[in-house]
Amino acid sequence: MAAPEVNAPPAFPRLEDGLENTLDGAETKGPQQQLTPGPTAPKPPTQHLRRNPPIAGEAEAIAAAQGGDGRAFETLYSLHKRRVYSLCLRMLGNVAEAEDLTQEAFLQLYRKIGTFRGDSAFSTWLHRLAVNVVLMHLRKKGLPQVSLEETLEPSSDDGPRKDIGARDLQLSGSIDRVTLERAVENPPPGYRLVFVLHDVEGYEHNEIAGMLDCSIGNSKSQLHKARMKLRDLLKSGLRKETRE
Amino acid sequence: MSTEPKQDDNQDCAEFQGRMPELFGAETDFSKEDHLESCENCAELVRDLNYIAQQAKLLMPIHDPAPAVWDKIHAALQTGESKTT
Repeated sequence: MAAPEVNAPPAFPRLEDGLENTLDGAETKGPQQQLTPGPTAPKPPTQHLRRNPPIAGEAEAIAAAQGGDGRAFETLYSLHKRRVYSLCLRMLGNVAEAEDLTQEAFLQLYRKIGTFRGDSAFSTWLHRLAVNVVLMHLRKKGLPQVSLEETLEPSSDDGPRKDIGARDLQLSGSIDRVTLERAVENPPPGYRLVFVLHDVEGYEHNEIAGMLDCSIGNSKSQLHKARMKLRDLLKSGLRKETRE
Repeated sequence: MSTEPKQDDNQDCAEFQGRMPELFGAETDFSKEDHLESCENCAELVRDLNYIAQQAKLLMPIHDPAPAVWDKIHAALQTGESKTT
Protein backbone atom coordinates (compact mmCIF):
# COMPACT_ATOMS: atom_id res chain seq x y z
CA MET A 1 0.00 0.00 0.00
CA ALA A 2 1.43 3.31 -1.04
CA ALA A 3 1.81 5.96 1.61
CA PRO A 4 -1.01 8.49 1.60
CA GLU A 5 -0.28 11.66 -0.29
CA VAL A 6 -1.12 14.25 2.29
CA ASN A 7 -0.92 17.17 -0.11
CA ALA A 8 -2.67 15.49 -3.00
CA PRO A 9 -5.87 17.16 -4.22
CA PRO A 10 -9.13 15.57 -3.09
CA ALA A 11 -10.06 12.62 -5.26
CA PHE A 12 -13.69 12.55 -4.10
CA PRO A 13 -16.31 15.25 -3.68
CA ARG A 14 -16.22 17.03 -0.33
CA LEU A 15 -19.21 16.38 1.87
CA GLU A 16 -20.54 18.86 4.34
CA ASP A 17 -23.11 17.02 6.37
CA GLY A 18 -23.22 16.79 10.11
CA LEU A 19 -19.58 17.33 10.85
CA GLU A 20 -20.42 18.49 14.33
CA ASN A 21 -21.54 14.99 15.22
CA THR A 22 -19.40 12.47 17.01
CA LEU A 23 -19.80 8.75 17.35
CA ASP A 24 -19.12 8.53 21.05
CA GLY A 25 -22.69 8.88 22.15
CA ALA A 26 -23.42 12.43 21.07
CA GLU A 27 -25.16 11.99 17.78
CA THR A 28 -27.45 14.92 17.21
CA LYS A 29 -29.16 13.98 14.01
CA GLY A 30 -29.50 11.29 11.41
CA PRO A 31 -30.20 7.60 11.81
CA GLN A 32 -27.47 7.07 14.36
CA GLN A 33 -29.58 8.99 16.82
CA GLN A 34 -31.86 6.02 17.25
CA LEU A 35 -29.02 3.87 18.43
CA THR A 36 -27.37 6.14 20.94
CA PRO A 37 -29.87 7.18 23.62
CA GLY A 38 -28.60 10.29 25.38
CA PRO A 39 -28.83 9.64 29.12
CA THR A 40 -27.53 6.10 28.84
CA ALA A 41 -25.06 6.75 26.04
CA PRO A 42 -22.26 4.26 26.47
CA LYS A 43 -18.72 5.40 26.87
CA PRO A 44 -16.04 4.34 24.42
CA PRO A 45 -15.14 0.74 25.13
CA THR A 46 -11.90 0.68 27.05
CA GLN A 47 -11.29 -3.03 26.50
CA HIS A 48 -10.66 -2.27 22.86
CA LEU A 49 -7.33 -0.77 23.74
CA ARG A 50 -5.89 -4.23 23.75
CA ARG A 51 -6.66 -4.46 20.06
CA ASN A 52 -5.79 -0.97 19.05
CA PRO A 53 -2.05 -0.74 18.78
CA PRO A 54 -0.82 2.27 16.84
CA ILE A 55 -0.83 1.66 13.09
CA ALA A 56 2.01 3.14 11.10
CA GLY A 57 0.76 5.85 8.79
CA GLU A 58 -2.75 5.87 10.18
CA ALA A 59 -2.61 9.29 11.81
CA GLU A 60 -1.33 10.86 8.61
CA ALA A 61 -4.00 9.08 6.58
CA ILE A 62 -6.73 10.28 8.95
CA ALA A 63 -5.57 13.87 8.72
CA ALA A 64 -5.35 13.71 4.96
CA ALA A 65 -8.72 11.98 4.61
CA GLN A 66 -10.28 14.65 6.82
CA GLY A 67 -8.99 17.09 4.25
CA GLY A 68 -10.71 15.18 1.49
CA ASP A 69 -7.79 13.13 0.21
CA GLY A 70 -9.30 10.15 -1.55
CA ARG A 71 -6.10 8.13 -1.56
CA ALA A 72 -5.75 8.60 2.17
CA PHE A 73 -9.29 7.36 2.58
CA GLU A 74 -8.40 4.31 0.53
CA THR A 75 -5.45 3.77 2.84
CA LEU A 76 -7.80 3.83 5.83
CA TYR A 77 -10.04 1.36 4.04
CA SER A 78 -7.11 -0.96 3.46
CA LEU A 79 -6.03 -0.71 7.08
CA HIS A 80 -9.45 -1.39 8.56
CA LYS A 81 -11.48 -3.31 5.97
CA ARG A 82 -10.72 -6.72 7.45
CA ARG A 83 -11.73 -5.78 10.96
CA VAL A 84 -14.90 -3.99 9.89
CA TYR A 85 -15.93 -6.77 7.54
CA SER A 86 -15.18 -9.45 10.13
CA LEU A 87 -17.35 -7.61 12.62
CA CYS A 88 -20.19 -7.34 10.12
CA LEU A 89 -19.90 -10.97 9.13
CA ARG A 90 -19.82 -12.23 12.69
CA MET A 91 -22.79 -10.13 13.68
CA LEU A 92 -24.81 -10.98 10.59
CA GLY A 93 -23.64 -14.42 9.55
CA ASN A 94 -24.33 -13.53 5.93
CA VAL A 95 -21.65 -12.64 3.38
CA ALA A 96 -23.81 -10.48 1.10
CA GLU A 97 -25.24 -8.48 3.99
CA ALA A 98 -21.80 -8.14 5.56
CA GLU A 99 -20.39 -6.76 2.32
CA ASP A 100 -23.28 -4.33 1.92
CA LEU A 101 -22.88 -3.06 5.46
CA THR A 102 -19.11 -2.83 5.18
CA GLN A 103 -19.74 -0.60 2.20
CA GLU A 104 -22.27 1.45 4.16
CA ALA A 105 -19.93 1.72 7.15
CA PHE A 106 -17.13 3.15 5.04
CA LEU A 107 -19.47 5.53 3.25
CA GLN A 108 -20.57 6.77 6.65
CA LEU A 109 -16.93 7.00 7.64
CA TYR A 110 -16.31 9.22 4.65
CA ARG A 111 -19.14 11.50 5.65
CA LYS A 112 -18.21 11.62 9.32
CA ILE A 113 -14.45 11.41 9.40
CA GLY A 114 -14.28 15.15 9.90
CA THR A 115 -15.90 14.65 13.31
CA PHE A 116 -13.13 12.36 14.54
CA ARG A 117 -11.24 14.30 17.17
CA GLY A 118 -8.92 11.62 18.48
CA ASP A 119 -10.63 11.26 21.86
CA SER A 120 -10.48 7.50 21.36
CA ALA A 121 -8.48 5.29 19.06
CA PHE A 122 -9.59 5.66 15.46
CA SER A 123 -10.24 1.94 15.17
CA THR A 124 -12.47 2.09 18.26
CA TRP A 125 -14.36 5.01 16.78
CA LEU A 126 -14.70 3.32 13.39
CA HIS A 127 -15.73 0.07 15.04
CA ARG A 128 -18.49 1.81 16.92
CA LEU A 129 -19.67 3.36 13.69
CA ALA A 130 -19.74 -0.07 12.05
CA VAL A 131 -21.59 -1.61 15.01
CA ASN A 132 -24.22 1.11 14.73
CA VAL A 133 -24.60 0.48 11.01
CA VAL A 134 -25.16 -3.23 11.64
CA LEU A 135 -27.55 -2.62 14.54
CA MET A 136 -29.61 -0.21 12.49
CA HIS A 137 -29.79 -2.76 9.71
CA LEU A 138 -30.86 -5.46 12.14
CA ARG A 139 -33.46 -3.21 13.67
CA LYS A 140 -34.96 -2.58 10.29
CA LYS A 141 -35.23 -6.34 9.91
CA GLY A 142 -36.56 -6.73 13.44
CA LEU A 143 -34.20 -9.55 14.29
CA PRO A 144 -32.72 -8.37 17.58
CA GLN A 145 -36.07 -7.49 19.07
CA VAL A 146 -37.50 -10.89 18.23
CA SER A 147 -34.49 -12.63 19.59
CA LEU A 148 -34.48 -10.58 22.77
CA GLU A 149 -38.06 -11.58 23.42
CA GLU A 150 -37.30 -15.18 22.60
CA THR A 151 -34.55 -15.31 25.16
CA LEU A 152 -36.95 -14.18 27.84
CA GLU A 153 -39.28 -17.08 27.18
CA PRO A 154 -38.84 -20.10 29.43
CA SER A 155 -37.41 -23.04 27.57
CA SER A 156 -35.90 -26.41 28.17
CA ASP A 157 -32.53 -24.68 28.09
CA ASP A 158 -33.34 -22.93 31.33
CA GLY A 159 -33.22 -25.97 33.57
CA PRO A 160 -30.11 -27.02 35.43
CA ARG A 161 -27.48 -28.66 33.25
CA LYS A 162 -26.47 -32.16 34.23
CA ASP A 163 -24.23 -33.24 31.38
CA ILE A 164 -24.49 -36.84 32.43
CA GLY A 165 -21.38 -38.76 31.57
CA ALA A 166 -19.87 -35.90 29.66
CA ARG A 167 -16.88 -35.18 31.84
CA ASP A 168 -14.55 -36.88 29.44
CA LEU A 169 -15.26 -34.17 26.87
CA GLN A 170 -13.34 -31.25 28.26
CA LEU A 171 -13.56 -28.10 26.22
CA SER A 172 -10.40 -26.64 27.70
CA GLY A 173 -7.58 -27.28 25.30
CA SER A 174 -9.88 -29.12 22.92
CA ILE A 175 -11.06 -26.33 20.67
CA ASP A 176 -9.02 -24.08 18.47
CA ARG A 177 -9.87 -20.67 17.12
CA VAL A 178 -11.09 -22.00 13.80
CA THR A 179 -13.52 -24.31 15.56
CA LEU A 180 -14.80 -21.51 17.75
CA GLU A 181 -15.00 -19.18 14.76
CA ARG A 182 -17.24 -21.67 12.99
CA ALA A 183 -19.32 -22.22 16.09
CA VAL A 184 -19.88 -18.49 16.52
CA GLU A 185 -21.61 -18.44 13.16
CA ASN A 186 -24.25 -20.90 14.31
CA PRO A 187 -26.23 -19.46 17.24
CA PRO A 188 -29.39 -17.48 16.43
CA PRO A 189 -28.76 -13.79 15.61
CA GLY A 190 -29.84 -12.47 18.99
CA TYR A 191 -27.51 -14.73 20.91
CA ARG A 192 -24.69 -14.17 18.47
CA LEU A 193 -25.05 -10.41 18.61
CA VAL A 194 -24.41 -10.06 22.33
CA PHE A 195 -21.70 -12.70 22.30
CA VAL A 196 -19.81 -10.97 19.49
CA LEU A 197 -20.22 -7.54 21.06
CA HIS A 198 -19.15 -8.63 24.54
CA ASP A 199 -16.78 -11.55 24.24
CA VAL A 200 -15.23 -10.89 20.84
CA GLU A 201 -15.35 -7.12 20.56
CA GLY A 202 -14.96 -6.30 24.24
CA TYR A 203 -17.99 -4.08 24.87
CA GLU A 204 -19.30 -3.92 28.43
CA HIS A 205 -22.84 -4.91 29.36
CA ASN A 206 -23.86 -1.32 30.02
CA GLU A 207 -22.64 -0.39 26.56
CA ILE A 208 -24.48 -3.27 24.93
CA ALA A 209 -27.64 -2.45 26.86
CA GLY A 210 -27.43 1.09 25.55
CA MET A 211 -26.85 -0.07 22.00
CA LEU A 212 -29.64 -2.64 22.02
CA ASP A 213 -32.11 -0.71 24.15
CA CYS A 214 -32.36 -3.54 26.62
CA SER A 215 -31.57 -3.92 30.29
CA ILE A 216 -28.11 -4.79 31.53
CA GLY A 217 -29.62 -7.93 33.03
CA ASN A 218 -30.99 -8.90 29.65
CA SER A 219 -27.58 -8.41 28.08
CA LYS A 220 -26.02 -10.64 30.73
CA SER A 221 -28.75 -13.23 30.24
CA GLN A 222 -28.32 -13.26 26.48
CA LEU A 223 -24.57 -13.56 26.76
CA HIS A 224 -24.92 -16.47 29.13
CA LYS A 225 -27.33 -18.23 26.82
CA ALA A 226 -25.06 -17.59 23.87
CA ARG A 227 -22.13 -19.15 25.70
CA MET A 228 -24.30 -22.09 26.72
CA LYS A 229 -25.39 -22.51 23.13
CA LEU A 230 -21.81 -22.40 21.95
CA ARG A 231 -20.84 -24.92 24.60
CA ASP A 232 -23.51 -27.26 23.34
CA LEU A 233 -22.32 -26.81 19.77
CA LEU A 234 -18.69 -27.33 20.68
CA LYS A 235 -19.42 -30.38 22.84
CA SER A 236 -21.52 -31.86 20.09
CA GLY A 237 -18.60 -31.40 17.73
CA LEU A 238 -16.26 -33.09 20.18
CA ARG A 239 -18.64 -36.01 20.63
CA LYS A 240 -18.89 -36.38 16.87
CA GLU A 241 -15.10 -36.37 16.56
CA THR A 242 -14.87 -38.95 19.32
CA ARG A 243 -17.28 -41.26 17.54
CA GLU A 244 -15.46 -40.99 14.20
CA MET B 1 -18.00 -42.60 35.46
CA SER B 2 -21.33 -40.95 35.84
CA THR B 3 -21.42 -37.32 36.90
CA GLU B 4 -25.16 -37.22 37.32
CA PRO B 5 -25.97 -35.05 40.30
CA LYS B 6 -27.91 -36.56 43.15
CA GLN B 7 -31.60 -35.81 43.13
CA ASP B 8 -31.19 -33.60 46.19
CA ASP B 9 -28.56 -31.55 44.40
CA ASN B 10 -30.77 -30.58 41.49
CA GLN B 11 -32.30 -27.70 43.38
CA ASP B 12 -28.88 -26.37 44.31
CA CYS B 13 -27.74 -26.71 40.70
CA ALA B 14 -30.84 -24.91 39.45
CA GLU B 15 -30.33 -22.14 41.97
CA PHE B 16 -26.66 -21.78 41.14
CA GLN B 17 -27.15 -21.93 37.40
CA GLY B 18 -29.93 -19.40 37.68
CA ARG B 19 -27.43 -17.00 39.22
CA MET B 20 -24.74 -17.70 36.65
CA PRO B 21 -25.56 -14.87 34.21
CA GLU B 22 -25.24 -12.35 37.03
CA LEU B 23 -22.16 -14.06 38.47
CA PHE B 24 -20.40 -14.00 35.13
CA GLY B 25 -21.61 -10.46 34.47
CA ALA B 26 -20.12 -9.34 37.77
CA GLU B 27 -16.86 -11.19 37.03
CA THR B 28 -17.31 -13.15 40.22
CA ASP B 29 -14.49 -15.16 41.71
CA PHE B 30 -16.05 -18.59 41.34
CA SER B 31 -13.54 -20.17 43.69
CA LYS B 32 -15.58 -18.67 46.50
CA GLU B 33 -18.79 -20.37 45.42
CA ASP B 34 -19.50 -23.16 47.88
CA HIS B 35 -21.71 -25.04 45.46
CA LEU B 36 -18.82 -25.63 43.08
CA GLU B 37 -16.83 -27.45 45.75
CA SER B 38 -19.42 -30.19 45.86
CA CYS B 39 -20.78 -30.17 42.31
CA GLU B 40 -18.42 -31.20 39.58
CA ASN B 41 -21.06 -30.69 36.89
CA CYS B 42 -21.54 -27.04 37.68
CA ALA B 43 -17.79 -26.62 38.16
CA GLU B 44 -17.23 -28.03 34.71
CA LEU B 45 -19.92 -25.78 33.31
CA VAL B 46 -18.18 -22.75 34.77
CA ARG B 47 -14.82 -23.90 33.43
CA ASP B 48 -16.25 -24.39 29.96
CA LEU B 49 -17.98 -21.04 29.84
CA ASN B 50 -14.88 -19.27 31.10
CA TYR B 51 -12.86 -21.08 28.48
CA ILE B 52 -15.25 -20.04 25.71
CA ALA B 53 -15.11 -16.42 26.87
CA GLN B 54 -11.31 -16.52 26.99
CA GLN B 55 -11.01 -18.07 23.56
CA ALA B 56 -13.45 -15.55 22.09
CA LYS B 57 -11.13 -12.74 23.13
CA LEU B 58 -8.45 -14.32 20.97
CA LEU B 59 -10.56 -14.37 17.83
CA MET B 60 -9.01 -12.04 15.32
CA PRO B 61 -10.45 -10.52 12.19
CA ILE B 62 -9.86 -13.16 9.56
CA HIS B 63 -12.21 -12.20 6.80
CA ASP B 64 -11.38 -9.85 3.96
CA PRO B 65 -14.21 -8.30 2.00
CA ALA B 66 -14.37 -9.00 -1.72
CA PRO B 67 -12.54 -6.47 -3.90
CA ALA B 68 -15.91 -5.46 -5.30
CA VAL B 69 -16.76 -3.83 -1.96
CA TRP B 70 -14.11 -1.17 -2.44
CA ASP B 71 -15.10 -0.79 -6.09
CA LYS B 72 -18.63 0.06 -4.98
CA ILE B 73 -17.43 2.45 -2.28
CA HIS B 74 -15.11 4.14 -4.75
CA ALA B 75 -17.87 4.46 -7.33
CA ALA B 76 -20.26 5.89 -4.76
CA LEU B 77 -17.72 8.46 -3.61
CA GLN B 78 -16.82 9.42 -7.15
CA THR B 79 -20.43 10.16 -7.96
CA GLY B 80 -21.14 11.80 -4.63
CA GLU B 81 -23.78 9.18 -3.97
CA SER B 82 -22.74 8.93 -0.34
CA LYS B 83 -24.33 12.31 0.25
CA THR B 84 -27.73 10.71 0.16
CA THR B 85 -27.12 7.22 1.52
